[in-house]
Amino acid sequence: MIRRPIKRQTSIILGVASLLLLLGVYSWISHRQHQKNPDDTTIPTWKQIAKGVGTAVEVNPRSRDRWLVEDAKASGFRLFVGLAVGVAGALVLGMLMGCFAPIEAFLQPPMSLLAKVPPTAALAVFFVLVGTGTNMYISMIAFGILPTLAITVYLAVKEFPEELQYKAYTLGASHAEVICTIILRYVFPKLIDAIRLVIGPAMVFLIAAEMLVGDVGFGYRIRLQSKLLNMSVVYPYLALLAAFGFAMDYTLTLLQKKCCPWYEGARG
Amino acid sequence: MKAPEADSVRHPIGLESRGVHHWFGPKRVLADVNLKVRRGQFLSLVGPSGCGKSTFLRAIIGTHLPRQGHILLFPFGQTSEGVPVTGPGRDRGIVYQHYSLFPFFTARENVAIGLKLDQTSFPYRYFRFPQWRKLRKRHLELAEEFLAKVKLSDAMHLFPHEMSGGMRQRVALAQSLIMKPEIILLDEPFGALDEATREELQEMLLALYAENQQAKERGEKPPHTLIIVTHELNEAIYVGDRVVGLSQYWDWGKEGHADCPGATIVYDKSAPVFELKDGRDFEKFARQREEIRRIVFEPSVLQDRHEHVIYWKQLSTVEVTGMSL
Repeated sequence: MIRRPIKRQTSIILGVASLLLLLGVYSWISHRQHQKNPDDTTIPTWKQIAKGVGTAVEVNPRSRDRWLVEDAKASGFRLFVGLAVGVAGALVLGMLMGCFAPIEAFLQPPMSLLAKVPPTAALAVFFVLVGTGTNMYISMIAFGILPTLAITVYLAVKEFPEELQYKAYTLGASHAEVICTIILRYVFPKLIDAIRLVIGPAMVFLIAAEMLVGDVGFGYRIRLQSKLLNMSVVYPYLALLAAFGFAMDYTLTLLQKKCCPWYEGARG
Repeated sequence: MKAPEADSVRHPIGLESRGVHHWFGPKRVLADVNLKVRRGQFLSLVGPSGCGKSTFLRAIIGTHLPRQGHILLFPFGQTSEGVPVTGPGRDRGIVYQHYSLFPFFTARENVAIGLKLDQTSFPYRYFRFPQWRKLRKRHLELAEEFLAKVKLSDAMHLFPHEMSGGMRQRVALAQSLIMKPEIILLDEPFGALDEATREELQEMLLALYAENQQAKERGEKPPHTLIIVTHELNEAIYVGDRVVGLSQYWDWGKEGHADCPGATIVYDKSAPVFELKDGRDFEKFARQREEIRRIVFEPSVLQDRHEHVIYWKQLSTVEVTGMSL
């Protein structure tokens, strides 16, 4: 029994069953709540949720825009630019730290220290330094993920076997080529793994900041609608966030498979 | 073509270790290692574990230069005094026991990578992309030729993790050979392989040795010079035409040292040359094997370090069955 594999078919059926069970239990709880209080909005029925989705997608009569479009544009831009800046910075710093001992000695203490400060707690710092605009979100996400990512890259470089480095030299590589042609290629799939892990935290930073100071974005909308107990809007937003996280994860895994076909097997 | 040939006759040496000493803090590793490697020679380097074989190889590769003394290279066709090694370079190839291939390249890319790194640079690859594409195609074709030479044409597109240990070492050999370096170092290359694969690869080395002899007969530069580090004495004698023993067990007291100053060369003799058709009759060199075991590996046998370093004497008395000058 223990650790014995099951058929693929069985595993798919079980997975679907658990999701169906989740939806079924929700429907039941919602149904019971509405028997008690027909006007309840905390555990909306499917019908109410459909209406909530309508509210989010249709042009809002007061603000004359579509909430979901505006929120997705704002949050998406902040998240992607923040991630891009963070990843680029982490890659450069991590590579430098891994390749050059003086830079390693110089940067490691602040890096490990900063990695321990929760960026959401340091929100006021970004607020003071770069204001409340888009820059604040971007810098918070970037600085939030940078230490972890940089250290991952740095450790991956350290792990690179020195034999392969010497080998590259005997094959006529320059120092720049050892870094950019050889080590970078070795580090790349590990970087993708690390990015997959920081997308969750990056979303947490963004949503938290938007809840605190935003005037548009997923975090702002969720906070507002939660206060109004409009859970019929909040739940679809949460589902969308989940779907987004899932899609990002899938895309990165696919990218890793396409760009580094060697990685999956070499890891084992 | 005439002039360099004359030079190579006058300078049959490809590499020299001159008075190499090395130590790590108080730990003395190498003491006065002097060695001249002839061009086209397959030199087997043996020694007890911890005797500094790896340190010596690193000194030759140039990643860890000796504390004292020099490694000198004599590039073919140059009548120079020898170029001291100051760092790693494309003229000295290496095949390691592990990590011998880049995990992110296929077999063919692994063999072609040296040509890419050696012949092109970043600006060339980016700013002259069309030319680079054409050159890349030639590199890959050449890599395929070298893979065919080590009988791996079928494995061209496999990644290292998809290959067996023996295949990996063959690719690694092709990867070094394609650079046509002055010398290739093999650091216990077959140590992790099973017996059958090992024999196959040894025979591959003998085939390379045969190429050397054919080149010599044509009056050309022998294409391959090898130092092969091994702990297997049969392999050392079978593959090499000369066996050099590095050992910390020698009579250093006689030379006035209070402590062991490190390992030095205590054994240097020619080894019988085998041809592929000879088969491997290990009884033939049982005597030499026992001799090496006693002189190099036996801690209690401390002899004068010059006593068994007689390769050049053997050479001058034409006792050598190996390649003639």
